[in-house]
Amino acid sequence: MRPDDTAIDNCLKCAVCNDACPVFGAHPRYLGPKHLGPELERLRREGISTDTVWLEYCLGCHRCDLACPHQVNVSEMIARAKAEHRKPFVRALRDWWFARPGLLGMLTTILPAVSNAALSLRPARFLMSKLMRIAPQRRFPAYTRPNLQTPAKRTAIANQMRVVFFPGCFIRYNRPQLGRKVIELLERNGFSVDVASTGCCGVPATANGDQAEARALARANVRSLAKQVNAGMRIVTACSSCGYMLKTGFGGLLSDEKEFADAARQIGASTFDAGELLMAQSDAGKLNTDLKTVNLHLAYHAPCHQKAQGIGRPWYHLLRQIPGVTIEDIDAGCCGMSGTYGFKQEKYNVSMAIGRQLFDAVGAAQPDMVATECATCQMQIEHGTTFKAIHPVEVLLQAYDGRPL
Amino acid sequence: MDSSRYDVVVIGAGLSGLIAASAVASENLRVALIATGPGSFVLGSGCLETQEIVRLGGSPDLNEAIEFFCERSRLAGNPFEGDIASSRPLPAILGDFKSVALAPRLLWNAEPRADLSAVVVGIRGLSDFDENFMAERLRERTRAMGLACRYAARQISLASDCGAPATTLRIAKRFDCDPEFRSELIDALRRAASGFERILVPSMLGLLSSEPEILQFEREVGCSLGELPTLPPSIPGLRLFHHLWSCLQKTGVEMFQGFPVQKLEIHDGLCTGVHVASPGHPLILRGESVVLATGRHAATLLDRSCPGLDTQMRPLDAGGSAVARNLFAAGSLLNNGAGSRGGATEILTGYRAAKLAAAGRGSYAAR
Repeated sequence: MRPDDTAIDNCLKCAVCNDACPVFGAHPRYLGPKHLGPELERLRREGISTDTVWLEYCLGCHRCDLACPHQVNVSEMIARAKAEHRKPFVRALRDWWFARPGLLGMLTTILPAVSNAALSLRPARFLMSKLMRIAPQRRFPAYTRPNLQTPAKRTAIANQMRVVFFPGCFIRYNRPQLGRKVIELLERNGFSVDVASTGCCGVPATANGDQAEARALARANVRSLAKQVNAGMRIVTACSSCGYMLKTGFGGLLSDEKEFADAARQIGASTFDAGELLMAQSDAGKLNTDLKTVNLHLAYHAPCHQKAQGIGRPWYHLLRQIPGVTIEDIDAGCCGMSGTYGFKQEKYNVSMAIGRQLFDAVGAAQPDMVATECATCQMQIEHGTTFKAIHPVEVLLQAYDGRPL
Repeated sequence: MDSSRYDVVVIGAGLSGLIAASAVASENLRVALIATGPGSFVLGSGCLETQEIVRLGGSPDLNEAIEFFCERSRLAGNPFEGDIASSRPLPAILGDFKSVALAPRLLWNAEPRADLSAVVVGIRGLSDFDENFMAERLRERTRAMGLACRYAARQISLASDCGAPATTLRIAKRFDCDPEFRSELIDALRRAASGFERILVPSMLGLLSSEPEILQFEREVGCSLGELPTLPPSIPGLRLFHHLWSCLQKTGVEMFQGFPVQKLEIHDGLCTGVHVASPGHPLILRGESVVLATGRHAATLLDRSCPGLDTQMRPLDAGGSAVARNLFAAGSLLNNGAGSRGGATEILTGYRAAKLAAAGRGSYAAR
């Protein structure tokens, strides 16, 4: 994907992006990335208003960008148009909240037990559906008080590599135990781990068309991470979407802001998915291979934002190294959840229609569990199938310490 | 084992890259395939034309390469039928006939023969396909060929049609992912078929559908089905791409989709690294051999003054020696301005480059 403006001239209207688009086949009226992206972009650049509700239906999965034979940044054009898109009040209010999972996390975790009870009550869900257009079929993930403190560091080796762990909202507010597992896993592989004091990465803000919020978050994140990156530390993510944002998004959002642009690019170059980092250790013969047998048949689903990082399939290969684990890459397309997209009432059906191929493929694989890096892919898989979905980190850690999942 | 090391790295997933990767993988080697997009085969009609095969006539390994392609297409669930010595007429996009050597069965079903009674079925709301025009052209052309064929035209309406203009690509995608849509299509086609021995539809019967699924669909319609070519992208071409792609993945080829190769690292006459422009930091893959099947548009990896190839399919530098001993080229990259008609040349050169690239390799044999 070339982030320059002339990329639009590389679009030959071949429609390969439409072929790759999960929504294009699932919703009979969706206009598709070719039209919403490069075709309307030409008019938008002439100042002609082309606002359409279909902009909201873009998942932001980046599959169009990956499929394009000429590296046109299709989804970026759609994201920019989404930021200009006008929504009716209720959807605008709902999406304002969806764009701010950090704020939502902070508020709900003041009294997590109360928030969880309130969010799961049937009347509350009915009201949210009526007043906020939130799909009543969905359950919000449970909120937990943020706690990423791990027990005293295992071993302090003199030349240990220091890394910064960027937890993201889901790990911070919903699954801090997963965050602690990531830290433990990195420590077992000789890394010394600091936890970033940052907030949301900004993917939900971009996805909900709130460019101002995304830029504000990007600036705050760059400010907070710049010092550590300058000191040569690598940033580690365990959420595919955070990882994608750190690698590409800050640079894109802040490319015209002089004081941030260089630091944003440097953050992109220093960011590694946890699997990518561990796979590099493995390639260098430095992975801790003290792995106990784990008898599990896993189905692996690669999240879209993992594919969009262009790093191959590190977790698939890492998990295959565990004795007793058999793993099948089911490669059945997008799950359809796309963060907050699947929670939106008007998009629930299309979200489930997109996921159908994946659900069928998981069912056919009959795994003990599904392994996938993305938290909302996990939610969607558990919602659409009878199988449990977990982060690959949990499997690898189990192989190290023999604790059950 | 170092996960970034491969016996062979193939760059490009057009027909030549896909065939090269398949051919190397079939020798049980560890292969990486780097792709940005599916190549130009998906813009053509999705069959192998006789004209091009004639042009390649005399290539000693043509038979072997085409046989390999047919075997792979069968393995992938999208079998190509026919043979390189034959030349049979199939409808082209405007209702003319062209000579074809190999095609999938669904396309062969549109072949005219004496006394054929077929109905051309269009779909209401589908842009760029006119069943009346097509039926009239086919009638006229077959009459000129001395065949007494009967072509009627019918239009079907689908209840799930929502008024938005449809394309064959959208219909094909819905065919893949929506069982209710398929049943509705079966009912409508069954009604349109009555009194005819064959239904001809624009190419739209799925991108992922395999031969057994199509046969099942035909049984439910109760009539033999043939597909007619439409405007690009070609559904049969994309279908072949998807089938070969997923077959490669299942056979253990590592696929890297979405980012172009920005640099070939060449030291002392050996290509030692392929730099993929992944976001943030480049991904570096190392292959004992590298096959370059990027097509001409993306040929910036080679010096513009590249005068051609040596007898081992290795690109030459301005001085006339191989750019790298382990770098081989395939596909339309080799066409000097002639432009590719898409098909047999890609298969032949992809297969040939793979054989040369695979010779003596096997340090990282597949899992």
